Amino acid sequence: MNTKLFTTVGAAMLAGSFLLVSNASATDGYDEKKFGPKSLIVWEKPVKVTFDHRVHTDTIGLDCNSCHGELFAMQRGIAPKTGKLTMAALSDGQFCGACHDGKTAFDSDTNCTACHEVPEDPIIWTKPVKAVVFYHQTHTEQYGLDCDSCHNEVFSMKLGTAEKAPDFTMKSLYKGRYCGVCHDGETAFASNTLCNTCHIGAKGYDRLMGVDPHAAADDHAPSGH
Amino acid sequence: MDINKLEGEKNEGIETLPSDERRNFLKMGLAVTGVFLGGTVLSLTSVSTAKGGNSGSVIPVEGQYPYPKHYGMVMRQNNCIDCEKCLDACRETNHVPKGHGAWRTDIQERLTTIDGVEKREFRPILCNHCNRPPCVRVCPTKATYKDKETGIVVMDYDKCIGCKTCMAACPYNARYFSHDKYAIDKCNFCLDTRLAEGHKDTACAAACPADVRIFGDLKDTTTEIYKILHKPDNKIWVIRPECGALPNVFYTNT
Repeated sequence: MNTKLFTTVGAAMLAGSFLLVSNASATDGYDEKKFGPKSLIVWEKPVKVTFDHRVHTDTIGLDCNSCHGELFAMQRGIAPKTGKLTMAALSDGQFCGACHDGKTAFDSDTNCTACHEVPEDPIIWTKPVKAVVFYHQTHTEQYGLDCDSCHNEVFSMKLGTAEKAPDFTMKSLYKGRYCGVCHDGETAFASNTLCNTCHIGAKGYDRLMGVDPHAAADDHAPSGH
Repeated sequence: MDINKLEGEKNEGIETLPSDERRNFLKMGLAVTGVFLGGTVLSLTSVSTAKGGNSGSVIPVEGQYPYPKHYGMVMRQNNCIDCEKCLDACRETNHVPKGHGAWRTDIQERLTTIDGVEKREFRPILCNHCNRPPCVRVCPTKATYKDKETGIVVMDYDKCIGCKTCMAACPYNARYFSHDKYAIDKCNFCLDTRLAEGHKDTACAAACPADVRIFGDLKDTTTEIYKILHKPDNKIWVIRPECGALPNVFYTNT
């Protein structure tokens, strides 16, 4: 008898909670059918890019067929698979570049972080020496640099490009190439000083990778250091 | 070995010394080396190795080297980036086994945080090839000794009985037991692997991309090591100077 009562009450409460949840989402007032997916579209290739339907439809007032048709298929993931979704294509007026030309909307070679993210993790180079770290956030947030301050002829956006270049050495930096463009002793600290600001060593690399740098070595260190 | 503790102990006297050690001792004329060299037990080592130390300075005195060549190394410490190319080169050149605590050179790391910013410092270490080497003093079979030509502290593997007394005596912990050779082994400034073949530097110095390790003959006034050590405004230091071993590995920031 009691069990039956509990079951009935329980079922009623469960149904109630469902109602509450659906009511809550309805009050948000965003119509996915009209304005497109509520969640961000995230492309991982060729690099991570986010696109917000809501900004373009609900806020700016574009229709679905403003973009879906010639520029973008409705089906998810088609554009990156073409292999043509590059910044070069955008500046040619393709894809986002149809509007992002500097007239209709901000030009595709400006305002990078509107769609791209500044990498949170440090860039770690292990060649020619192990290991050098670079923190994007220190340079963008603390020193107010823009992406194109360095990502022009100085550094490619593509990960590992500098590392593959035979001239990615301290000597090049002293001649004003790579980091040496700014790290010349005037704009920023000279690249032949404060070595260990960027050079974290093999031990620092291990630590970043979650490996105890001293695990392999026996304790042979003389005391006092 | 704690030299301070040893110093507190009574002088063991010459009765227990081997006869030729005693002969050397008497030859000096000034029989009381205890007075001559500050009274440490280590001062009983043959006096020909006890040169160096320029009135409180760690830099050896010119013209007082007892060897035809006097090899040493100066580390431009703040240039070290712990890339560990020296470690790899040393292991490869000298066939240093992996594991069992075997090492000939290493890099120490110190991390500190100043005003929320992490600072790091690296320090390369190796055998200091001391002028007054405690390891040589304690070896019961004379398996380790100062090479007469170069002043390098070397090993005679055939004589070594593996008692590890030298490991305990070394203030720098620069020795290991080699399971391959079944004897104690250590850095020998690449004496057999590179210097004997005509190279002018050690494997670690040759591999360093940042010119941290400057190896050379301290007696030769034209060498870079001589110039760095003797330039008046260069601050030079050694590790554990208080142990009195008079090390030949120096550190500076340039």
